[in-house]
This record gives sequence, structure tokens and C-alpha cells, in this order.
Amino acid sequence: MRLKIIAPIIAALALTPATAAADFAESPMLAAEVKEGYLPPVDQRLPRPPRVIDTGPGVYGGDLRIAMARARDTRLMTVYGYARLVGYDGGYNLVPDILESFETVDDKIFTFKLRKDHKWSDGHPFTTEDFRYWWEEMANNSDLSPLGPPVLLKVEGEVPKVEILDAQTIRFSWSKPNPFFLPALAGPRPPFIYRPAHYLKQFHKKYADPAELEAFIKKRRMRGWGPLHNSQDNLYDMDNPALPTLQPWFNTIRPPAQQFVFMRNPYFHRVDKAGNQLPYIDRVLMNISDGKLIPAKASAGEIDLQARNLFMSHFTFLKQSEEKEGFKTLLWDTSLGARIALYPNLHIADPGWREVFRNRDFRHALSLAIDREEINEVIYFGLAQPSNNTVLPQSPLFREEFQTKWAAFDLDRANALLDGMGLEKRDKDGVRLLPDGRRLEIVVETAGEETEQTDVLELVHDSWLDIGVKIFTRPSQREVFRNRVFAGETMMGVWFGANNGIVTANMSPEEFVPTRQDQYQWPKWGQYYQTEGQAGDAIDMPAAQELFDLFRRWQSASSQAERTEFWERILQINADETFTIGVVCCTKQPVVVMQNLKGVPEKAIYAWDPGAHFGIYLPDTFYFERP
Amino acid sequence: MFRYIIHRLLLMIPTLLAVSAIVFIIIQLPPGDYLETLIAEMASRGEAVDQNQIEALRRAYGLDKTPVEQYFSWLFGLLQGDFGWSFEHNRPVSELIGQRILLTFVVTFSTIAFIWIVSFVIGTYVATRQYSVSDHVATLIGYLGLATPNFLLALVLMYLANQWFDTSIGGIMDDQYRNAPWSLDKMLSVLEHLWIPVIVIGTSGTAGMIRRLRANLLDELQKQYVVTGRAKGLAPRKLLWKYPLRMALNPFIADIGSILPEVISGSAVVAVVLNLDITGRMLLDALRAQDMFLAGSFLMFLALLVVIGTLLSDLALAALDPRIRLSGGTTR
Repeated sequence: MRLKIIAPIIAALALTPATAAADFAESPMLAAEVKEGYLPPVDQRLPRPPRVIDTGPGVYGGDLRIAMARARDTRLMTVYGYARLVGYDGGYNLVPDILESFETVDDKIFTFKLRKDHKWSDGHPFTTEDFRYWWEEMANNSDLSPLGPPVLLKVEGEVPKVEILDAQTIRFSWSKPNPFFLPALAGPRPPFIYRPAHYLKQFHKKYADPAELEAFIKKRRMRGWGPLHNSQDNLYDMDNPALPTLQPWFNTIRPPAQQFVFMRNPYFHRVDKAGNQLPYIDRVLMNISDGKLIPAKASAGEIDLQARNLFMSHFTFLKQSEEKEGFKTLLWDTSLGARIALYPNLHIADPGWREVFRNRDFRHALSLAIDREEINEVIYFGLAQPSNNTVLPQSPLFREEFQTKWAAFDLDRANALLDGMGLEKRDKDGVRLLPDGRRLEIVVETAGEETEQTDVLELVHDSWLDIGVKIFTRPSQREVFRNRVFAGETMMGVWFGANNGIVTANMSPEEFVPTRQDQYQWPKWGQYYQTEGQAGDAIDMPAAQELFDLFRRWQSASSQAERTEFWERILQINADETFTIGVVCCTKQPVVVMQNLKGVPEKAIYAWDPGAHFGIYLPDTFYFERP
Repeated sequence: MFRYIIHRLLLMIPTLLAVSAIVFIIIQLPPGDYLETLIAEMASRGEAVDQNQIEALRRAYGLDKTPVEQYFSWLFGLLQGDFGWSFEHNRPVSELIGQRILLTFVVTFSTIAFIWIVSFVIGTYVATRQYSVSDHVATLIGYLGLATPNFLLALVLMYLANQWFDTSIGGIMDDQYRNAPWSLDKMLSVLEHLWIPVIVIGTSGTAGMIRRLRANLLDELQKQYVVTGRAKGLAPRKLLWKYPLRMALNPFIADIGSILPEVISGSAVVAVVLNLDITGRMLLDALRAQDMFLAGSFLMFLALLVVIGTLLSDLALAALDPRIRLSGGTTR
């Protein structure tokens, strides 16, 4: 039995400043409100103990200007805020954040302890009642959750036993391990397994006054109380200013709007090491602009902090105005397993082509015939790295072989492989012929969103022609592209590689295993898993089946060593089989930061999961030198 | 006349019904629906999708029903003043459109005023100086305005405004006024930004209008009554103002019907490029996201504008020009 106890250490660390209330300080903005009597003083607002962040002291005040492309992007503030039950620290270890502590037993029993006197942003206590409300009244209510509790909380169909031990303690337990649970809670889009019950009860049929509820449904033109409840309850989307939150800033503007104003949460549970309540910055102003205008706005000095909608192609443009407008452009590492990857569709409807694509030698030949160095120099200024679609060097699971196997530029070997498959016949243009006489012409489809993809394909086209494979590029539209892949109409697609290339053995290897329909190399196997066999096709290829078996074994593994072993085997199979053809990895993400904004790391990793973009670097600890 | 108006109003009903069916079919043409768009977008960023939320939405808004059933439920909603639900914004459509109308009207009416004033002045000027240097110059500029893509002109002007006057990039006002109550500073900020879309949207309309006014006026100037007036010693300017110019004003009135929806929908691309918070941009976003009730309601709104605009311009024409009488319309 493996028992992890983190509680005593954390509690001991945190309790020291909590004993002396006078040690806590707060922003001048809130101090004024306390003086006027609108808010209780800071030591009554902070939980005991608060989470102490090893930073500071910073300077209070100021407005942080950021830009987003759509009104729906208010949800990014939940990502950036990164208040989670448990969260990753800078070294990608899971630490309690909203929780005071957590204990796990074999990944089967999870006991969470809340901080005492923790409060929602409206000042109402945050307790295990908020967990109970979600579990009993929402997740298990068919009007609100037609499909029952989220998949994450089911282990092979089994839902957890949820026990409320007291107002601060709650336990989730399964009979089999659920290794996905904690990483998901620390994710950029966590499953909110708690909700502000005191607020939502007014929309719940079981608790609300029927007449009031009816009137509200009418007023909001909703079709029943279920949709009404759902529309008011979006902890992730942050689109309901009335909904209390635990994040560092809360939204004050109802969408749609061109500017969203996020105010500091006076009850936020983190303090710096001097006892100053975080966040330092008073307000975050999110301006909604067309995505293509955001680089221009950044270069005009109208944005304090931005990474989203900025790409490598904007780098020189941004550099030009740095000095005049007083910002700097950082280059962060990204976590994509490959910036560009080709996805031969193993489920293509045409039987002739399907046989070709399912031949490992064919995929190897295509991979060998890509001049990755040239692509790196021409398109990425030499800043990227030739690579398969696999894990990145920063990952402890990385092996050079995974990255380079079948990825050297070797036309002779590629030609030999294709000849060996019996494709040696060529027509007068030098294009190979399939056994049934058709030309070896591959239509490569893109979602049509980035010219970068078509630029890369242009270079791939030339070297593939040298091995007798002709490609045509067909830009499409994202939904059309996906649906064509799913239907087996697309021969080959272009997309990013794995989302998370910086994995540890404890993170799920699902990206390298047929588990999702939107894995463009094997959509039907993924669909089969996702729908529990109701749609899609069962796996009918030994290598893929082995991947899936390893995934299952990883899931029920009981030690880190075992997990590492299964992970490595999965990566090895991917490298051996070249299911996806990665082109380059390790591209950079430009990050624009105003010179006077402090606390933003110069070198960092820009990643969605794990990382939550800026979230893992705790934007509540960023501050303006002179607000 | 009264019978004519009634007749026209009754004709609107089948017209709008037909439009509603076409609108609905066009919105449904792309594969998938809003929820699939949403799933695709989130999946592309690695975000997990809350299947429960999707399923609840699908059931609540009848997306699991057949398109025909969806159409009729939408149509009956429209008849009762319920424009449906915007998935993208998570609010009733009726709450959304209203918010945008004010700024849309500011932009639209400024643009129409711009078109009218510029083309009236230039059109009159060049018609009285046919084939002179100024005529050719004005013609050239007019054609340039017509030929330059709006989005390009918008980008260039936006860049220049930022470089020369330090106007903020995009938007109809500076960012700090976006949620502020109306004040003198806020109005000045709007004016500072307004001229770009007005010029951009206006230029293409102006070119056509100048040509029409010029052609009409040239026709009139050669007519007998003008020659007579001139021969009798009427001052040239007074002659021009009093008779031929009035006759040549027809296109200004006749175009009301098409100019209203044209300016509102034609400004969509400009609104996107310039990041203007007006209806055209919202329509485009709604179409892209397959937010069908929002897009559908917008398109119906535009169709209604065309129908009403045409009626108004016909009535105004009849009032302005005694030669146009509409009695034939009812008997035909």
C-alpha cells in the first residue's frame, strides 16, 4: 500500500504567518473599501491557512491589458487564474492549492481537506456542501447531466463513492485506480467538482421557489429549469458576473462585450511570503479584437501581456516596435510534440489505398523522404528541430531514438522500401503506380487556417516527387476537414502533433494510443473507444492493439516504475511504426510583455496541459513596477 | 395610392416567408451544427469537451430534430417575437441585436451622409464641366474608390491613423471608453475612429452615385427647358439649382431601398478588419460559428430592411417626381 501524506508539511509551512493576523497586508484598493465598511479586514477574508507563494513583495495596483479574439475567450481567465484544487508547481509536481492537503491511497482513495474559512468571491463560505451539491444535485441529476457524471469520474463504468467526512473533508473512492483524476483537477480546464451551491440553489428545481423559478425561466426565455441552471453555471467560462468564483479575478461584464473587466477577488486564498494577499494587480482588462489585429495592437503598445494569437511569423514585426513602445518579446518553448505532423488515414475508405497506408514500409518511406533540415531553415529560421511526433527533450521519457528514428533524409532508402513493396512501376512522369494501375497521388488536406502548413507541404511535395509520390494540397475548413477524415474520405491530413510533448510517466499516454476520434491517423478506433463500442471500428492491427493494451496496463499500474515502462514501450512502438509523420518540433512562442510588468519569467514553457499557458507561472504574482 | 400601399404590405408576407426558408436552408448547408463547431474548436486546442453540457444543449434546442422541424419551430418563434437562442453568447438573440443597433446606426448614417454629400458636390461639379480636367480627375478617384478592396483600404488607413495621430488600433473608440458612460471625451474618441470606416465603406458607394448623378444631370442639361431658361437670361447657378438638379436627384431617393442593407451588410468585412462593434461583424461571426438562430435572425432583419427600404423609396419617389405615378401597380 502506497500512502502519500502531504498535509503536515504544507500545513506547518503555512500556519506560521497565519498565527499573526497583523502580518497580512492587502492592496490599497481593498484597504479603502474596508475602511468604508464594505468589506471585512483581510485577516477575516483569508482562509486559515492561506496558501503561501514563495514570491514578492510586489507592488499593488494597476490594470493588466490583454487581448482575445472572441467574447467566448473570457474562459481564458479561468485558465490564467489557475486556482485549482490541486495544481502543478514550477517543477510539474502536484501540490494542493485550493485544498489545504490531499491524501491518496493507490490512486483509488482520494481524501481532500479544504482550508478553514475559505470563502467564495462574494464572501460566502466554501465548504464540502459545494462538493455535495455538485455531486448529488447536478452530476447525478438527469435534467442537468443527461449522460450522468463526467467520464473522468468513471473507472470502467464505476462511479466513485463520495463521502462527506465533515465541513472541510471529502473523500472520493473507487475499487480500481483512477490515475486521471488528480492531473485532470490540475488541468487548464478542470472538471469543477464543486459549485457555489448557495448561488445555484435559486435555479434548482429542488430548492428554488417554484413561482420565482418560473418567472425567471420566462424572463430569460429558457426552455425549462435545466437549461436555465446550466446557463447560470459556468465556472469555467466566466461569463456570468453573478456567479461566485475562487479565481484571483472575477468577471464584472456580461457578454457579449468588446471589453471585459476582471476585478480582484477580495477573498483570494494566496499570499506572498511577506503575507501580502494576492493578486497584486487590481484589474485585468480583456479587449476583444479580431485575432489578426492582435499582433498589430501588441506592436502599438496597447497590450501588457500576450501570447495567444501571436505566432513566430510576427516575431520580426514585433521586434521592430519594441523599443518605441517599451515592451519586450520573449521566446518561450512550446510543448507540441511536433509543430507540424502528417496523418496518413489508416481508415481511408478506398481499399487499395488503405492497404498501402497500413503498410509500415510505406509510412517509413514517406518519413525518410522529408528534408526536415531544409524545412527548418526555410520556414522556421533554423529555430525549430527536425523531429518525429513524439515527446520533447524536456520530458523525462525522452529518448533520442524516438525523435530521430526513420526521420533522417534518405531518398535511396525510401525508394528501396517502396520498390520492396512492389510499387516499382512508374509512369512517364516518374510517379509510381499502384498495383491496380492508379498513380500514387496523395491529396493532403489541411484545415486551411495556417499558411505555414501549406508552405511546409510545398517543400514536402518536391522531395516526395523524388521517390515517385505526387501530392496535392487541399485547404479546407476545419469542420469539413474533420468530418472528411472521420468518414474516411481524406487520404492524409496535416495538423499539429501531440498536444503535450512534455509528459511524465504519471500523465496519461492517451495521445499516442487510439483513444480519440480526433486522432486523424486512426479516427475509427478512437471513436470505438470513446463510445464504448457503439460507433467506430474495433482495432484490427496488431501494433495498434498492443498500444491499447499497454494503455490499459498503464491505467491500472501501481508504481511509477511500471508506468514508465509502459510509457516507453508505447513511445517505442510509435517510433517504430511511424503512425504519424512528424516534421519539426520545438518551435518558439512569442510572448509580448511590457517592460514595467514584473514577475513574468524570461524563459518558460508555453503549454496548454499541463501548464495552462500563463497559469502555472501564477499571474496573480505578476505586478507593475510603477502601476 | 392607399390601395397600393396595402397591396405592397401584403406582398411582403410571402416575400419574407420565402426569404426565411432560403435563409434557413443556407445556414444549414455547411456540414454539422454549432455544437460540432464548438467541439472541433475546443478539441483543436486540447480542451476537453463537457459531453453533458453538449448533450443538454442539443436536447434543449432541438438540434437532434430534423431540419424541417427545426425550421418550423424557429419560424413560429419568430412570429411570436422569440428570435431563439444564441449558443455562442449564451443569451437570447433579442438581447444581442439591440445592443449593437445604436453604433450600427451611427456608422450607417454617417456613411450615407458621407456618400450623399460627397457625390452630390462632386457629381454636380463634374456634370457642369463635362470632359474637363477636373471631370477626369474626379472620375479616376471615383473608380479607384470603387476598385480598391475595402479591407485593404481599411488596413492602410488604420495604419496611417496609428502612425500619424496615434489612434488606437481597431475599435470604434479607445479601449478605456469601452465600458465607460457617455461623455464628451468618449464622443471625441468615437469621432476620432469613425472617419476611417465612413471613408472606407463610403468610397465604393460614392463612385457609383457620382456617375449616376453626372449622367442624369447631363441629360437634363441638354433639355429644352434648360436651354430656354438660359436664353431668357436666368443666372446659371440659379437655373441649375432650381430645375435640372432636382430632376437629377432620383438616384438618391431610389437607392434608399438598397443602400440601407448594403451599408449594414457590406460593412461586415470592414467591421471585422477594424474591429467595430456593429451588427455586420456579429453576423459574420455568427455565420462562421454556425450560431444558426442568431445568424438567421440577422438575415431576416436585413431582408426586412430591404423590403421596407424599397417601399419607402418608391413612396418618396412618387412624392418627389410627379411623372412617376403608381396606379398601374395595383391594376396589373
